[in-house]
Amino acid sequence: MISSIGLREWRAMLTGAAYELRSAYAWLSELDSICGDGDHGVTMLRVANLFEQCVAQGSGKSPEGLLSDVALALIGLDSGATGPLLGSFFLGMAEATGPKNELDARSLAESFEAGLTAASRQSGAHVGDKSLLDALVPAVEAMRRAADEDRPLERILLAASRAAQEGAVRTKNLVARTGRARYLGERTLGTQDPGATSLSLIFKGFHAGIATLEGQAEAARGREGRGST
Amino acid sequence: MKKFINQPENIVHELLEGYALAHPQKVLLAGDYLVVRAAPKAMGKVGIVTLGGSGHEPGLSGFVGEGMLDVSVPGEIFAAPSAPRCLEALKMADRGAGVLFVILNHAGDVLAANLALQMARKEGVRVKEIVTHEDISSGSRERPEERRGLVGFLPVYKIAGAAAEEGRSLEEVFTVAERLSRNMRTLAVAVKTATHPSTGQAIFSLADDEMEIGMGQHGEAGTGRMKLKTADETAELMLAALLEDLNVVEGEDLLVILNGAGATTLMELFIVFRRVSQILKARKIRLVRSLVGEFITTQEQAGFQMFIARMDAELLRLWDAPCDTPYLVVR
Repeated sequence: MISSIGLREWRAMLTGAAYELRSAYAWLSELDSICGDGDHGVTMLRVANLFEQCVAQGSGKSPEGLLSDVALALIGLDSGATGPLLGSFFLGMAEATGPKNELDARSLAESFEAGLTAASRQSGAHVGDKSLLDALVPAVEAMRRAADEDRPLERILLAASRAAQEGAVRTKNLVARTGRARYLGERTLGTQDPGATSLSLIFKGFHAGIATLEGQAEAARGREGRGST
Repeated sequence: MKKFINQPENIVHELLEGYALAHPQKVLLAGDYLVVRAAPKAMGKVGIVTLGGSGHEPGLSGFVGEGMLDVSVPGEIFAAPSAPRCLEALKMADRGAGVLFVILNHAGDVLAANLALQMARKEGVRVKEIVTHEDISSGSRERPEERRGLVGFLPVYKIAGAAAEEGRSLEEVFTVAERLSRNMRTLAVAVKTATHPSTGQAIFSLADDEMEIGMGQHGEAGTGRMKLKTADETAELMLAALLEDLNVVEGEDLLVILNGAGATTLMELFIVFRRVSQILKARKIRLVRSLVGEFITTQEQAGFQMFIARMDAELLRLWDAPCDTPYLVVR
C-alpha cells in the first residue's frame, strides 16, 4: 500500500494525467468550440507532452524539483490562460513541498492547498464563475477531508478525483463570469467548462497513476508468493 | 474555409518568419520569436512593449517600428504568449529609461502579463503597464475593467511611441497614453464567422440575414444579435452608442477608426464611414483625424470595429508625429 508520495509516485501521477488528457483530446476540443475557439484539446495535448517530458527528465530529482520543472514549463507554454494558471498551481505545490522527499497524506493535502492558493491568486475568479477553480477547489477540499480522516493515499486521490469531476459537471449549469467565455452570457449554459474538465482529468490521472503503482506492487507480491520454491 | 497554410502546428512560426522577411528594413525576429525593431531605439528613451495572440494580422506585431512599438510578443493563434517570453521582451526593450507594457484586456493576456510583470519587477526592470479596455459591449461603464481591449491599442501605441521618441520619462509616457486610453471607445459588429486556422472550426454561427453587435476579437459572440441592417442604419446605431458612452459633446474633437475584421471590404467601410462623417457634422462634433483599413483582423470574419477617441492638442500632436512601421507610416 502506498503510504507516502515521493518522486516515484509523482512521476506515476503525472504520467497518469498525461494519459487522461491525451485520451480526451476530441472531447476537450468540442467543449471549447461551443463557447470558445476550440483549441483547448490542442493546448492540453501540449500539457500532456510537457508532463511526460518532465517525467522522463526527472529521474534524479526531488519531488520539489520535478514539480518546479513542470511549473516553469507550463508557465513557458504559449497557451493563453492555461499556462499561467496551471503553472501557478504546480509552483505553489513545489514551494510547499520544499525539501521533503516523501510526503504523507497531510503534507500532500497541504501542498495541494498551497497550489490552489497560488492559482486562485493569479486567476482572481471564484467558485461559481465557471473556470478550472470550480473543479480544483472541491478536489483540494476533498483531499483535505480524506487526509484528516487518515484514509489511504489511493483513496484520498480517488476522493479528489471524484470531487473534481463533480465540480466540472456542475459547471454545466453555470453562466461564465470569468475568462473569454464571460462575454457570451447565457449562451454558456449547458456546456461543461473546458478548463474545469481538463483539471478533473488531471486529478483522474493522478489517482490512476497511484492505483497503477499499487496494482503493480500487488502483482509483484502475488508473483513472489507463487514463484518461491 | 480554404487557407494557404502548411502544417497547422507551424502556422505561427512560419507567419512570423515570412513577416520579418517581407519587411527587413523595419522589423526582425529576435529571441524566442519576438518581433523587434530592425534599428533599435536610441538609449535613454522609454521602450514600448505589447503582447497578444497571433491570427489577427497585421495586429499587433505589424506596428513594431520607429514611433510605435519596440517589441511585440506574439502568442499562438488567438492565445496569449507565455510570461517568460514577455519578460524577455521587457528586458530587451529597456534602453535605460524603463518600459511601458501595453496589454489588451483579455483573460489570457492579463494572466501572462501579470506573471511577467511580477518576474520583471523582481529583476529590477522599471515597467509601467496600461491595460486597454475600450469595448463598450463587453462591460458596463461602471466596471470598465471588464471591457475588452480592441483596436484602441493602435492609437495607444502611436501616442506612447511618439512620446517616447520625444525623450519623455516613463511617467510622462504613461500619463499621456493612459489619458488617451481612458478617452477612447470601440464597438464591433460581425456578420460572418471566422474559422480557427489550426482546427478549422467555425467560431460562432449567424444566420444569413443576421448581424451581431458586440463581436469579440476571437469571434466570441456578443449579445446584440439582430437582423442585418443597412450600412447607414448600422453606422447610426453604433456611433450613437459610442458617443453616448464616451459622453462626447458638441465642439469636441474626435479621432475615428474603422477597422475591418478581415472579410469586410474597404468598399463597405467607406460607405459606413460616410455616414459616420455626416452624423458627426450634424452633431457639430469635429472629426479631426481618421483611419480606415484592417489593423486587427480575425481571419475571415466579416464585420468591423468602430472606434472613437477624444483628442486634445497634445494627443493630436503625438498622433501626427512621424512613425515608420510596416502597417502604419506617418511622415
